[in-house]
Amino acid sequence: MPALSHRQPCLWVGFCLIYTFACLHLRAQTEEQPLLTYRHTTAEVRLTFLATENQTRRTASLQQSDFVVVDSDAVVRDFHTFTPAPEMKVELLILIDCSESVSPQVQRELREVLRLITETGGIEEGHLSIASFAGTQPKTLCQGNCRTWASERLSDVSAAGATPLYDAVVFATEILAQKRDQDVRPVLVIFSDGIDTISRHSVSEAMEAALKSEVQIYTVDIAGRKNHQRQGIDTLQTMSKVTGGAYFGVSDGAEILASVFADLRSAYVVTYSVPSRRAGFHEVRILPTRNHNLEFRSRRGYYYGTNR
Amino acid sequence: MKFRSLLLMMCCALQISFAAQLGIYQRGTIVRMRMGECLPQRGFMAAISGNNMPMQTEFCPEYTLVTDKVVYVILGKISNQLLPLAETTNFRFQKNEIAVRVDDANQESKFRIKEMVLRSQWDREQRLMQQAEESPSGDLSSAMSVRPRH
Repeated sequence: MPALSHRQPCLWVGFCLIYTFACLHLRAQTEEQPLLTYRHTTAEVRLTFLATENQTRRTASLQQSDFVVVDSDAVVRDFHTFTPAPEMKVELLILIDCSESVSPQVQRELREVLRLITETGGIEEGHLSIASFAGTQPKTLCQGNCRTWASERLSDVSAAGATPLYDAVVFATEILAQKRDQDVRPVLVIFSDGIDTISRHSVSEAMEAALKSEVQIYTVDIAGRKNHQRQGIDTLQTMSKVTGGAYFGVSDGAEILASVFADLRSAYVVTYSVPSRRAGFHEVRILPTRNHNLEFRSRRGYYYGTNR
Repeated sequence: MKFRSLLLMMCCALQISFAAQLGIYQRGTIVRMRMGECLPQRGFMAAISGNNMPMQTEFCPEYTLVTDKVVYVILGKISNQLLPLAETTNFRFQKNEIAVRVDDANQESKFRIKEMVLRSQWDREQRLMQQAEESPSGDLSSAMSVRPRH
């Protein structure tokens, strides 16, 4: 024991020396090497889609291995997440064509719009807007409290002037983009014959605006039988297909909201890394891995780069 | 006539099932898919019928099939010749074409070979392309300049 007590001071001195040298060495190292900052950016694509089999809606049985995403030619099989779409609210904007070309059908159109509005019970008052387009530019008819406005004033709307359809789509997507929320899905329902006559924007610019704002477009063809031009049908169908919405005839008006809500309930969300960092438009398709009867509906692509 | 066609179908089915059993099929993964311009039809019948040049541009599915050693770019013969894009694709060579097995239908779909490249070379090219995309200028030459030399 006495021998140990003699050694104790030496041990303490030794320990202190080692500690001091270690601290000095560490300090010297940190002074020599600047602190490294690792920056890592992960660009993730989030795609909401619907899966149907033989024209019927599938809700629960889809597996991750049942499909691939073809993103700008690259086949993507590694997904970050794959889940049923969470319960989302709807931000609904109804766009009414009040141009001269639809004047023979305008009363029927307004009746359908009114019927649609009466069925919007599941949508909060603040999330419902109505806009119209005719002449040179579109205008907002009401934002919030639209149900009262529609029941009192909608019948006063008259049809006259040219058809700025594409400008109206850009205008509507801007309104919906202002109200953009992660938990709210922006939906645009267009009542029109699909024939644009005066827009400053092109159809591709209108689609670009809709895709950038992730707006889903549902189109209702209100053209009468005599004026049923193929070009108008094509335009309306393209708008709905590109944005993952749906096309309806005017007689299907009652099904629109049912379709929107059914889409919300049965949708899936998949996320994955951007396969190519090329700036610009990335075309997206979802294809089956085994079952050829599976069909998928989603927006046709996204914009990657500066103004995403 | 019916008997003959039935016999022919049975022969084809047997051939495919034997091929599967014998393990003739090679395995690969489809990593890219796009619609490319269809190749003109070849052969004697096409030449005499004058159908060897398409009247208007038609698009056929083009797949990049990656195997352990070789990467194939294969092209369908018609526009709706689509393949299920499963993780593994079974295929075999038949004359100058690639016959891809479509498992669920228990049949084969024949594709023309558009390109063939060694896997190592293809991997290198992919790395270069990725570097080019990630480089600020987005230029392939700048990506090549930072490539380590072996």
